[in-house]
Amino acid sequence: MAYHPSKRHPIRRLARFPIGFLLPAVLVLAAIVLFPTLYLLWLSVRHWIVFQPQQYFTGLGNFIALFRSSAFWESLRVTGSYLLLTSLLSFAFGLGLAISLSKAIFARGVVRALIILPLLVPPVVAGFAWKFLLNREIGLVGGYLFPALGITVSLLAHPTLALVSIVIADIWSKTSFMFLILLAALQSIPVELYEAARIDGAGARQEFLYITLPLLVPAIIIGLIFRAIDAINTFDLIFVMTQGGPGTATQTLSIFGWKTAFTYFDLGRGAAIAVVMMVLAVITTLFLTKRLQR
Amino acid sequence: MRRHPTGKTLGRLLVGGYIVIYLIFVLFPILWLLLGSLKSRYESLLMPPRIIFEPTFLAYEKLLFGGLLHTFGNSITIALINVLLALVFGVPAAYALSRMRGSVRKNVSFWILSIRMAPAFGVVLPIFVFMRSLNLLDTITAVIIAHLTINLPLAIWLLLGYFDELPQDIEDAALIDGANHLQVLWRVLLPVSRPMLIAVALLVFVFSWNEFLFAFILTSSEAQTVPALIASLAGTMNFDWPLMSAISVSALLPAFLVVFFAQRHITEGLTLGAVR
Amino acid sequence: MRKILIVLALALLAGAALAQQTDIRVIAFAQGFAWPDLFGSTGTEKTERLLAFEEQENINVTIEWGDETAVRQKVLTDLISGAGRYDVILLGSDGAVQTYGYSGFLEPLDGYLATGDLDQYITLSDLYPQFLTANTVDGNLYGLSYYSFGPGIIYRTDLFDRYGIEVPTTTDELSTALEQLKTGFEADGITDIYPLTMRGAPGEEPSLDLTGFVYAYAGYPAWFEGGVTTPEEIRSTRAKPIFTGDFRAGFESFVNLSREYGPPGIATHTWVDMMNLYSQGRAAVLLPSAINGYAAITSTENELVRDNSAFAPIVTGPSGKPIQSFWTFSLGVPASSKNKAEAVKVLALLTGNRSMQAFADQTQWPSVTIPSVMHSETLVNRWGSDEIDLNEAAIQASDPYYFPYIPELAEFMDKIGTAASKAITSGDVDSALNELQVWALERMTTAGYYR
Repeated sequence: MAYHPSKRHPIRRLARFPIGFLLPAVLVLAAIVLFPTLYLLWLSVRHWIVFQPQQYFTGLGNFIALFRSSAFWESLRVTGSYLLLTSLLSFAFGLGLAISLSKAIFARGVVRALIILPLLVPPVVAGFAWKFLLNREIGLVGGYLFPALGITVSLLAHPTLALVSIVIADIWSKTSFMFLILLAALQSIPVELYEAARIDGAGARQEFLYITLPLLVPAIIIGLIFRAIDAINTFDLIFVMTQGGPGTATQTLSIFGWKTAFTYFDLGRGAAIAVVMMVLAVITTLFLTKRLQR
Repeated sequence: MRRHPTGKTLGRLLVGGYIVIYLIFVLFPILWLLLGSLKSRYESLLMPPRIIFEPTFLAYEKLLFGGLLHTFGNSITIALINVLLALVFGVPAAYALSRMRGSVRKNVSFWILSIRMAPAFGVVLPIFVFMRSLNLLDTITAVIIAHLTINLPLAIWLLLGYFDELPQDIEDAALIDGANHLQVLWRVLLPVSRPMLIAVALLVFVFSWNEFLFAFILTSSEAQTVPALIASLAGTMNFDWPLMSAISVSALLPAFLVVFFAQRHITEGLTLGAVR
Repeated sequence: MRKILIVLALALLAGAALAQQTDIRVIAFAQGFAWPDLFGSTGTEKTERLLAFEEQENINVTIEWGDETAVRQKVLTDLISGAGRYDVILLGSDGAVQTYGYSGFLEPLDGYLATGDLDQYITLSDLYPQFLTANTVDGNLYGLSYYSFGPGIIYRTDLFDRYGIEVPTTTDELSTALEQLKTGFEADGITDIYPLTMRGAPGEEPSLDLTGFVYAYAGYPAWFEGGVTTPEEIRSTRAKPIFTGDFRAGFESFVNLSREYGPPGIATHTWVDMMNLYSQGRAAVLLPSAINGYAAITSTENELVRDNSAFAPIVTGPSGKPIQSFWTFSLGVPASSKNKAEAVKVLALLTGNRSMQAFADQTQWPSVTIPSVMHSETLVNRWGSDEIDLNEAAIQASDPYYFPYIPELAEFMDKIGTAASKAITSGDVDSALNELQVWALERMTTAGYYR
């Protein structure tokens, strides 16, 4: 690194030094992803179906074919709903938990650790567990608890409720992510701020609205960005629970894309779907980061 | 200004109730997994479940003595090394980015984030080709490298958002006092960043621990990880749910202890004054 | 010192001997369930039998496991990247054999097996010919089968007796029997037993059963005009898809039975669910993939199910032909393998008599590929020779080409199963089939079949 410590020019150092800190991470990431990124982009403009001998450049052909297929638009819609529901709900629950558990309450450590546990259950298992629990026929929740409450419909086989089911499983599995990030951010708000506010006579509500929330915004947005990216890419959980069904009611872009590439053997179009998913993630992120640059 | 006492009690009750309900939601499936791991294949999915049953430890025996334990070793190694690498590369990078302004910061940080946006099914083939050209197939190194694409962006962005919020005046004071950036980072920033560092470490560990596709495609039997093992058990006509449950549950107890001790560091009361 | 040198020399020699062994890498699914006689009950050991084979043939066998969908992805990644890591790969007769067979990724096995060198492991004439047909594409044998199944009905004799129901032999009688069960259950206030369990999840799984219904109703594989089943025939006769034509009757029957008599969640059910329901005594009839019934009966702890389950031949459709449900867990040798001769040896070991017998001994399922194993003591003692004969007859009456053998098969299977899942949910058979027809026509056209 081109940095020479010099005690005489602290301000110059301030301007120049960070590059040396940044470079290793950038180089490492670039080395890993340069080839895969180019390959993916290259693949997305190729006609390449594994069992067809002819492989050729097709320009935007894969994308045009995608945009003309109703399956794509339906998957996009499902992905959008899934994305919105899981990010917003896991944010709401996560924020509530983080605020509740940032204060000293009974057995706080144990409760926090318990709430984080679902994160460590691999999505495959989480998917199977919820599939079995929500099952209308032999599920403890879907077959016994809900019918006792008067809900007798089969959750997993109902087009709308199947989406609700995978959202429930996703929230179970991923709210802890939001919780952890918000908790960490919450605990770093200097206590002086609250002390000062209290001296000024602020109540709990004012404290929350004028101190806690504004200072949490960056963490909330970053949490939402990652929840959104992960929601767009969720595969195992959904595939295990519904296989994208009933019909295509829970077929997200990640399931559609995976099927296109690995069941339909259409590598070009599969890559095009992956590119579209990245664009969707970029749009969502830009939308969120706009709010970060106050 | 005193708060209304009854309002406070009500608030506490609501908070308590919320936590209890959420805990039930969280623990119910886990308890169900735990019981399932102690049952026979038939009984594990039986409805209505028998509350009183004769526990069998067959699944745990299989796990312990069936040559499956190495998957835990692989998963833990991969996840821990990822935590280490994500912090070693991520902390300085996040620090640097947070002290930069303008389009470089914006573009570089966005590029870093975009790496995580790539759907696994889209990049698994090129990553496979890439690892093969490096002769890394079947090694945990390949998985560690692949997981960095998920974890490094996460670590950098979480820390970036965090460092942004820390007031810069203490840091500037330290710099003018003759400290270099490394010292500032180490002595000033990191101590106050403990909550986020712990959170980042936990999350990186978790993402690496749970990741399935790269771990499966890039490795073979020797370097098999826990999620890959679980998935391959799910695919049998036996559908050994007790064994799948046992594997997941076995991972939870050590995890609980780690999280329990780690979360103590995510505490309030860190004051900026303390580090002066 | 000399002693140490000798030991070192010996170690080196042993190392050299080991190094001469040819490495054969296998990738398959069903860890701990497949080949316990070779890889132990968790799929991680090498048994005496495997070690003896390795020594005799000077081959070192390594097996890699995964779940079925993930393994398919890994195999594809390996094949198209030309990595050539695997010498024996999982195929399955519902798409992979066809796709890889047509595209030249697989090594034809006929030549290797014709020499007779592998007779100690497998002899083709010993097998039910259907399992060879199923793995033959364009006249070449590309795969050999491990456990495999034909169609059948697994049903509860106690429930049939209770309502005085005759075992059905036709699709009409099947509807009647199911209706009798339904009204019987209703009259007795039984709400937790479903007359029928099948699988209707989106994807290729239900298609194996559903296209079997189509075959029984139309009397031929009614996917394309004229019932053609190969790419050449489709090209030469310009046969268009007929999903809104002759395909419809069988599809509709499958959908209606699922809706009327199946469990409420059937539109997302896979084999796990159909097996579970039957094994918990929650379904009276399981069809047409009998293997899932056998899996249920042999794992259930429900005495009613265990003591009152029977097998019946699958019903015939209006065409007089039986419903089909036929699949083989087949494995093949990729053309990219560097040691094909040795790979075929391992393949023969994995699919041969002794492995099949070990499977039968372990599972007790009559889902085997070899008559001598089917009639072995284990299976006959467990099920009685009548039931074994019926199972054998079911395999012999199977037409492996009950769906076309085209490279696009996997995609069609997926779309058809998804259409079924959709129709089961909505009840709208017509729009599901119209959509399928439009898609299929476009797919075949862009693939250049009608040029």
